[in-house]
Amino acid sequence: MDDRQIQIIMDSFWPLLKAGVVLTIPLTLITFALGLILAVLTALIRLSSWTIPKFIARFYVWVIRGTPLLVQLFIIYYGLPSVGITLSPYLSAVIGLSLSVGAYGSEIVRAAILSIQKGQWEAAYSLGMSRMQALRRIILPQAARVSIPPLGNSFISLVKDTSLVASITFVEMFRTAQEYVALTYEPLLLYCEVAVIYLAFSSVLSLLQNYVEKRLERFSAS
Amino acid sequence: MIEIRGLHKAYGSLEVLKGIDLTLSKGKVLVIIGPSGSGKTTLLRCLNLLEMPDRGSLKLGENIFEFHERARIPQKNILALRKNTGMVFQSFNLFPHMTALENVMEAQITVQKKNKSEARKRAEVLLEKVGLADKAGSYPHKLSGGQQQRVAIARAMAIDPEVLLFDEPTSALDPELVGEVLKVMKQLAAEGMTMAIVTHEMKFAADVADHILLMDDGLIIEQGSPQEVLNNPKTSRAVQFLNHLNGKSDE
Repeated sequence: MDDRQIQIIMDSFWPLLKAGVVLTIPLTLITFALGLILAVLTALIRLSSWTIPKFIARFYVWVIRGTPLLVQLFIIYYGLPSVGITLSPYLSAVIGLSLSVGAYGSEIVRAAILSIQKGQWEAAYSLGMSRMQALRRIILPQAARVSIPPLGNSFISLVKDTSLVASITFVEMFRTAQEYVALTYEPLLLYCEVAVIYLAFSSVLSLLQNYVEKRLERFSAS
Repeated sequence: MIEIRGLHKAYGSLEVLKGIDLTLSKGKVLVIIGPSGSGKTTLLRCLNLLEMPDRGSLKLGENIFEFHERARIPQKNILALRKNTGMVFQSFNLFPHMTALENVMEAQITVQKKNKSEARKRAEVLLEKVGLADKAGSYPHKLSGGQQQRVAIARAMAIDPEVLLFDEPTSALDPELVGEVLKVMKQLAAEGMTMAIVTHEMKFAADVADHILLMDDGLIIEQGSPQEVLNNPKTSRAVQFLNHLNGKSDE
């Protein structure tokens, strides 16, 4: 590595990290929160007895899981303006990523709810609880514990998936790196640098995930 | 207080209850015995509508239900009935994410809408009663089976039900833990709690029951005082079942 390359790393590191902290991480948090709400709602609808909403929920999960996220983002950002819906890159990114988290997450939440023993529902019902009360007080808290490891994985995937929104002109961390590459023509150097920053983000999140799992273990059956 | 007439229940083509009549008065203990598959657990679960009967009628205090093919029972009537019944399950079914105390408080808060301190006070009294005051802060997986079942009894009593239903409460327990659960149940019986109990514990049945039902193949084949049913059964099927049980316990 020569002096010029070291200089490029020094110059680009803070702008890249800043883009990560100010744009990538907030985008991840917002879309994960929205996606999680969508996931729980979708899972509950799919476990309900309402025929039409159930069909819509299944259709949603089928389409989102069966098509590439990149294509979905292109449809939202480049496609929708043709029918008069023009969204900013940021809003397109939030919608696209949330829909994705919601679809995959709903399967996780649904499986977690189904994994709770029937006896738990019956115990709640036998005490006079309604379905909603049983769900809220008894089933969901237990299902949440079951779904934390797989949801943690989705969360870490999401951090990395945010790099896809660079392709719809949203200037987050990866797009910032691309701009440096255009300026300096050092792709190996800069893409490795941004990879290291993603790796650092994921690692911190993994630690956080472990911590949350440990905390929830105190009531787990042995 | 509980009155059942002509209760039928089938799963597909399998008829589990083929016309059951029974009466249970306040303060009495009813014990239901019979071979497995005889329908005794289904009958018990019909009393709080965890199973919905196909035909017949059920009256529990103020709650009156008529069942037939097209009848849709309103959810609020079902909930009202369940608030008057407590159930203890074979597999305990304690809420694993709550301490023993929280398990006993839960329905008081969500169903009875009591405030927390009131619920806590009542829960402490009930845990004391089942001999587990010192385990209030323990999560279920830290308790033995017998302790879990005693917490489950306290939980079922917390909603102040008019009747307690026990579905083979000691069948999942190690033999040395059965006694502590039966002791609590005996104590409740002595205090005048109305109870319906499905069990295989014949000695307990003989000691505690006011009335015994012997079921076989979806029907009641013998009923009466423990003396009558256990010592002087009239039908050959009943004799066979009781001999089989005695044979087993003599081994």
